[in-house]
Amino acid sequence: MQVVDRRQAIARLRTQIEGIEKRSFPEVRQAQSRPYIIRAPDEKFAPAPAGLLHEVWSDEVRNSGAAFGFALGQARALLGRSRPAILFLQLAHEAQQTGLPYGPGLCHFGLCPEALIIGRVRNVTELLWAAEEAAGCKAVAAIIVDIIHPGKILDFTASRRLAMRAGRGKASVFLLRYGREREAGASHLRWRVAPVSSMEALFDARAPGCPRWQVCLEKGQGMVSDMLGQMRWVLNWTENGFALEQAVGTDKAGKAGVGPALSGPVPTALGYGLSETA
Amino acid sequence: MRLQATDAAAERAGLYRSQNLSDARALCPGLVAREMDGEYLSALFGSLADWHAYASPIVSIFPGTFIPDIRTSFGDLLLDVTGVSHLFGGNRQMLAHVSGRLERAGFTAQGAMAQSIGGAWALARFDPGKIVEAEDLKTCLAPLPVSALRLDEKLVFGLEQMGLKTIGSLYGRNRKALRARFGDRLIERLNQALGYLEERLVPRLPVPERQSERRLAEPIVLERDILMVVNDLAIRLCAQLEKEGMGAQSFHLLLFRIDCQLMYLAVNAARPVRAPDHIARLFVNRIKRLAGEFDAGFGIEAIRLTAGSVSQLDAHQSGVFELVDGAKDLERLYDRMAARLGPKAILRSRPVNSHLPERAVVLEPVIAGTGDDADALISFEDGEPATKAALALPARPLRLLPVPEQISVMAEVPDGPPVRMVWRRLSYRLLKAAGPERIGVEWWQPGAGTLTRDYYRVEDKAGRRFWIFREGLYGSESNDPRWFMHGFDP
Repeated sequence: MQVVDRRQAIARLRTQIEGIEKRSFPEVRQAQSRPYIIRAPDEKFAPAPAGLLHEVWSDEVRNSGAAFGFALGQARALLGRSRPAILFLQLAHEAQQTGLPYGPGLCHFGLCPEALIIGRVRNVTELLWAAEEAAGCKAVAAIIVDIIHPGKILDFTASRRLAMRAGRGKASVFLLRYGREREAGASHLRWRVAPVSSMEALFDARAPGCPRWQVCLEKGQGMVSDMLGQMRWVLNWTENGFALEQAVGTDKAGKAGVGPALSGPVPTALGYGLSETA
Repeated sequence: MRLQATDAAAERAGLYRSQNLSDARALCPGLVAREMDGEYLSALFGSLADWHAYASPIVSIFPGTFIPDIRTSFGDLLLDVTGVSHLFGGNRQMLAHVSGRLERAGFTAQGAMAQSIGGAWALARFDPGKIVEAEDLKTCLAPLPVSALRLDEKLVFGLEQMGLKTIGSLYGRNRKALRARFGDRLIERLNQALGYLEERLVPRLPVPERQSERRLAEPIVLERDILMVVNDLAIRLCAQLEKEGMGAQSFHLLLFRIDCQLMYLAVNAARPVRAPDHIARLFVNRIKRLAGEFDAGFGIEAIRLTAGSVSQLDAHQSGVFELVDGAKDLERLYDRMAARLGPKAILRSRPVNSHLPERAVVLEPVIAGTGDDADALISFEDGEPATKAALALPARPLRLLPVPEQISVMAEVPDGPPVRMVWRRLSYRLLKAAGPERIGVEWWQPGAGTLTRDYYRVEDKAGRRFWIFREGLYGSESNDPRWFMHGFDP
């Protein structure tokens, strides 16, 4: 009840401000009209819809692979015919610390390397400019910005501008950030990603299996449809996208899409749970 | 230290070129001497040369020669006036106009016009102000000294020793004998001066295919004003292109500064365009990239927009039921970003036929580079394109380090998978490992190294997944192989 009152009060204030400033808040409108769905009803981890500013935090720079993998997994779902490209932006001098996206690795991850455009810029100002410019483009699905040392330029205003641009242009922006200290930002969602020991790989017990991350949603809980659920998931990355990790040992562990990465054509095992005779 | 250049006032005081600085100081106690910055001056001279684009589309610099008394460091300015001089009212008026402008700007300039580059060079040096027709060239050059043939010091000295002091004295000589004694160079230069041998001008700026220009009544300084003029020029240029059904891929902006310098900016587009707002936007971005370096000096008096790489671009009918194709929007975005960030900042990975992971992909610019900036962020290796089969590789990391980092690794057995590693001064306990994937040396490639690599995909206790390799096989290739970190898995 209280929540509803507060929302009504905020909506009233917004209309007042709109009247004063003679402008509208497009992305706010959109947020109200449609609930964000992150956890779909069939207990799958569905990627976030387009037009959001995400912050993807990982504690250390050495986890850059996991953070990039998670952002890329989210971004892949936004690719389409009218939006064929993902832009990756990085400071040229930080490439040696976090690594450059690698074409064959992208293939292996499940993304066509041609879809990823790499931008290597000289400073944070150019980085933010490029991200804003790309967010306004109707053909970019997502922008992944890798940034270790943002300096003082990336402040609330900058992230607000990015959020507005993303909301208007319907391209998602992912800021990959490192460290434990959070600062004020206008991002819609803030994730914390950490790698987790992978499951056993097929046919080789000693080999690392499919990527597995622990994902925690720190900000933007209101956009998750499942309000009662926890904001912490363990995710596997499979060929079919994100797969929620169930408690190991339960019967759900073997359910479709939860297994290790599949190679080649999709086997019939995916049809598990459906009647095969009728 | 010696004097490099003197002006009229210095000569009056008794100073001369290549004089010792201490001698000059003794003669002229108040002398202010500065060290010569050759690079800066030659860049400035280059800009001065480019500025002459107002007079002729083909401007070139003849590189400096080393003749003792006319040593030039930066070269000589050459203008191709073919089909241009009538715009100034004739050859004589054009020469007077060009050298007059330079003199008014405070330069000492001397020039001449002739049918050949060598002839014009000789006349400008030794008999300035002349305009010589083809038939008179031989007689006009005859009284000039042999150093007017652009020969090196040693050759001139040799000729003078023989008593051949003027060009005219070479005319009647037996050419075979001259060639035998002084080499091909002399004959070649003589022929070039007389116009018997063709000599080419290499234009400094790309020759424009279409252009629109505006001369301003008052010089302008502000970036905003310049961009407004650029917008107008783009509209005019595009109207011209539209009439012909053409589009252009490279655009050059020439800003003529009032102090005889030229600012030259270039942008490239991914595909032929003729949309004025897009072109103007590219130049807005290009000027933003200059940031603090944008210097309009005392003002800009003329602005010219030229188009290059012109090709056919048919008019397009937009339809109601058209499917939205992102490709066009995307290319426009690349254009804008390349204009602002530099053409080498926006890259796409192209697979290459190679087994070595760092060679298997080449990052290539999405937009072709422009001539006005030479800053390279990374170097691009070239290779033959990969076949489809080469793409079906075993597991590869998502991110690759541009330079592999050396790590120290402990393995249970020399050839076994690693158990512990120290990377960036932190220790990792590796619980899982897959491998080795052995990648041999590409001996058919130059600079491929000599050691075989064994790659392992490893995972540490916290779940971080890395891609590391051992360089060299135990025993056969190396007794103490080194380990490297090469990539990160998701």
